[in-house]
Amino acid sequence: MQLNGAPSNRRNKIMNRLIRYTIPRVSPFRGTAIGNSWSGLESEVDRLLEAALADYPKQATPRFPVDLYEDKDNLYVRAELPGVNREAINLELVEGYLSLNASRKTGEQTFNLARSIVIPETVQSDKVTAALEHGVLTVTLPKQEQAKPRKIAISVN
Amino acid sequence: MSPFNKIVSRLSRPTSQREDGTATLEPEYTVKPVFELKETDDAWGLTVHLPGVAKEGLDLSVEQGLVSIRGERAWEMPADWTQLYRESVAAPFMLELEHDNTVDAEKIRAELKDGILRVSLPKTEEFKPRKIAIE
Repeated sequence: MQLNGAPSNRRNKIMNRLIRYTIPRVSPFRGTAIGNSWSGLESEVDRLLEAALADYPKQATPRFPVDLYEDKDNLYVRAELPGVNREAINLELVEGYLSLNASRKTGEQTFNLARSIVIPETVQSDKVTAALEHGVLTVTLPKQEQAKPRKIAISVN
Repeated sequence: MSPFNKIVSRLSRPTSQREDGTATLEPEYTVKPVFELKETDDAWGLTVHLPGVAKEGLDLSVEQGLVSIRGERAWEMPADWTQLYRESVAAPFMLELEHDNTVDAEKIRAELKDGILRVSLPKTEEFKPRKIAIE
């Protein structure tokens, strides 16, 4: 009896899934582009993928995109944090890592967002500034004086 | 975003070839933003994540049966910056949603704040649930 238990459980699971996906979604909106011949296939593949991925747990803390830039004086970190308040952002610079912690409130729900970025060179940690604009955070990290390229004028006699 | 679009977003682009075989301009590469749609008795509430999009770069239009949102990013990398590592995409956001004309186009309200667009799409009177008094 025990041997039979496992496969029947599995069959039940599959049946549940089949039943779930045969019920049409009650929504007048569909995320399809106009004149898109792929839309039928797309929703079909979505359904298959959702069914296949349903058993995997979702990522605990969602990642957000982070970019790193530099110019001759500064390093810049840009992070996409739409809908996050200034007060809900926490920045820390510890031993070459910039850790970014933020939380987004959507109604009653709160989502925590966290990333840690390796800062490739030493910066003047006391002069780090940050600005938030249109949901994008820009952190400016001034380079150490010795890391800057130096131009020395030599006069030739 | 749906899993299919995540994996092969380029497949959902319109075709670039005309029927007679002459190629038109390369279709623009756009990104489908993260969005959420909620329903109440009176309205549909649409929340779209548009990081880096300012009011000036946002275009929201409601045609017959189609709500389309297009957002251009306000920021451009200054010429003297060097890109070391990049995860974000510079392509504009594009979201098109079909609806079955139960939306009252006159009463649509939209608000953009901190990279989040909130659109309220009220239902037309005739589609709202009605309470019928029993005599």
